[in-house]
Amino acid sequence: MNDAPLRFHWSMSSAADPKRRTQARAAMSAVPDFKVLLNFCLMAEECGIDSLLTAYGSYRPDPIAMAASLGVMTSKIKFMIAIRSGVNVPAQFVQQINTVSALTNGRVCLNIVNGHTPEELASFGDFLDHEGRYGRTDEFLAVCNAFWHRGENTVNFEGQHFRVANGRLGSRYIAPDGRVAPEIFVGGNSRTAEETVIRHADCLWRFPDVLSVVGGTASRLAAAGKETGLIASVIARATREEAIAEAEALTASFDDSARKVHEQALARTDSVASRNVYGLARQAEWLTPTLWTGAVPFMGPASVAFVGSYDEIADSFLDYKAAGVSQFLLLGWPDIEEMQIFAREVAPRVRDREASAAAMTVKAS
Amino acid sequence: MQPRFHWRLPQGDDRPGDMRDCSAPHLEEQIPFCRDAERLGFDSLLVDFGIDKADSIVLSTALGMATSKIRFLIAYRSGLLAPTSFVQQLNTLSSLIDGRISLNIVAGSTPDEQRAYGDYLEHDDRWARTDEFLTIARGIWRDGVVDFDGAYYRVEQARVRTAYVASDGSRAPQIYVGGASEGARMVAGKHANCLLLPADVPSKIAPRIAPIVARGVEAGLRVMVIARRTHHEAVEAAHAFRDFGPARVHGSFGSFASRSDSQMVQSAMENSAREWLTPWLWTGAVATQGMMATAIVGSYDEVATAILEYQAAGITQFILSGWPKREEMHIFGSEVMGRVLQREAVA
Repeated sequence: MNDAPLRFHWSMSSAADPKRRTQARAAMSAVPDFKVLLNFCLMAEECGIDSLLTAYGSYRPDPIAMAASLGVMTSKIKFMIAIRSGVNVPAQFVQQINTVSALTNGRVCLNIVNGHTPEELASFGDFLDHEGRYGRTDEFLAVCNAFWHRGENTVNFEGQHFRVANGRLGSRYIAPDGRVAPEIFVGGNSRTAEETVIRHADCLWRFPDVLSVVGGTASRLAAAGKETGLIASVIARATREEAIAEAEALTASFDDSARKVHEQALARTDSVASRNVYGLARQAEWLTPTLWTGAVPFMGPASVAFVGSYDEIADSFLDYKAAGVSQFLLLGWPDIEEMQIFAREVAPRVRDREASAAAMTVKAS
Repeated sequence: MQPRFHWRLPQGDDRPGDMRDCSAPHLEEQIPFCRDAERLGFDSLLVDFGIDKADSIVLSTALGMATSKIRFLIAYRSGLLAPTSFVQQLNTLSSLIDGRISLNIVAGSTPDEQRAYGDYLEHDDRWARTDEFLTIARGIWRDGVVDFDGAYYRVEQARVRTAYVASDGSRAPQIYVGGASEGARMVAGKHANCLLLPADVPSKIAPRIAPIVARGVEAGLRVMVIARRTHHEAVEAAHAFRDFGPARVHGSFGSFASRSDSQMVQSAMENSAREWLTPWLWTGAVATQGMMATAIVGSYDEVATAILEYQAAGITQFILSGWPKREEMHIFGSEVMGRVLQREAVA
């Protein structure tokens, strides 16, 4: 098992709007409530969360502007800025990220996503299909990394989607630990997403599945020196019964309109990850004794949830850690409360188990 | 109509021997500068865009969070990000700082720098692309949803769920288009609230802006100011500015100009053949300090007179910079602005 402690990130997407994912996207407002989000960031700092995901899409405020504004008002929390290729030219994107890094002393990392719905992508002028978008992402990250790692050299690149001649920028990525580039995550369940991580990034975000499937992904990535992370929801309560009652109350609170929203989303998406999860949810409500898909028909793929007692969830996280997972990106409903429960009850149990595992390793050796 | 005064945000430093890098924000200096500009009554601060600088949108976000009245005139180019995403980013920023933003859309000035960004278009094509870029962006601001199929951009049902937010009721930022070419005038005529011109004598400016002004677009002037108590002191300060900085930098403007395809740069070069274009418009520092160094130089009253002459020629907005960068804003704000408004009231 990897010795490093598990790292925990949280999604800011539903901050203070617990039912967000049940709404038709057209009904969502994307005007940020800065005070609510800032409060959420400060809470996440208190809870020891590593970074907060700021999502990208036409139903979201711009993640770079959010990271910059929240970043200057906070001191510890990092911002995981989601971005698709095909929106920015690499040099301008690198310049924006470098500027955010300077404002936040390196509290920024990236979540590279592929987009999921052709009609939403078309509104940004992106008409490539799933594989075409990954092809462009491959070039995008190659050029971004070339800018970050250029040293005193200039960047020259001739690709299908991007060209640069004698590229250089005055700005550099600024971080106290000496990193010259942000940590890069890539979201996706497809083999193409794994390949993208292996070529250009640090860690894959995938949706959960049974241990053997996740372990397969993790071992392929580990062979290339890359990490695997899980995006999941969490419902942790003192007892398993309470957690299940909470989960059932959640699904009971939805009506058919939420299900229709997600049936329509599934019909429109070309995301392998989304289709995977909707498929899993149709097969079984419980993928493992703690991994529950019951909310997926109402809340979408990110609602695959770890449900159970504090101890069960900590055990389950350790099982995934043993299978090669090193990071979790979590969501909860309600968001702030679940994050506080997680920080107070689950995270310490995870750390205890990690400490005793380390002690056993020392003993054995 | 009262003129509107804007100032250029300093990004590097200008103390001798301390040529500060401008590639990262220096909030500890820039925030007090912004608050001074607010207090002195400036309308907005110009935040430059360029390859050696911090990103102008991100920097404006940080400065906007620390201020309450001053606006940010954000310079940006087409060809860097998708128009839908550009609108989304600016709308997000508007919601954070109550719409205190306007845009200075420029076309870029050297092919070398453009290619470093991955932009291989020639000068006129860059303006054609800017036209499409603004057509989509303004369409989203005006109509909410845009379909567009052009030579450079194609979008279907482009829309942004983050509304533009401003308590004054505006639904889009004011757009300034900067440039001296036909392309700039075309784009300004179609899309801008204000065309920004490089410094020149009022008699040349008047005929140039007449057709634009007739279409209801304002004309703004981008010029430096060096104002002192007496004419003599101002000229001395101007000479110190001309000679400021390491000698190796001096003269580099000539080589920059030869690589540039901007008409603004070319006309600044031509003008600088004569040191005084009027009794107060001085080009003496262009050779050492660059094309934006054409300056109104004189006593407080002389500079106020110059501003009024430009107003008479049709200029309604002034994007100013000065030297030393910080002190000059104070001088202009406390000594010249009042004189302009007073004499205007008398006239």
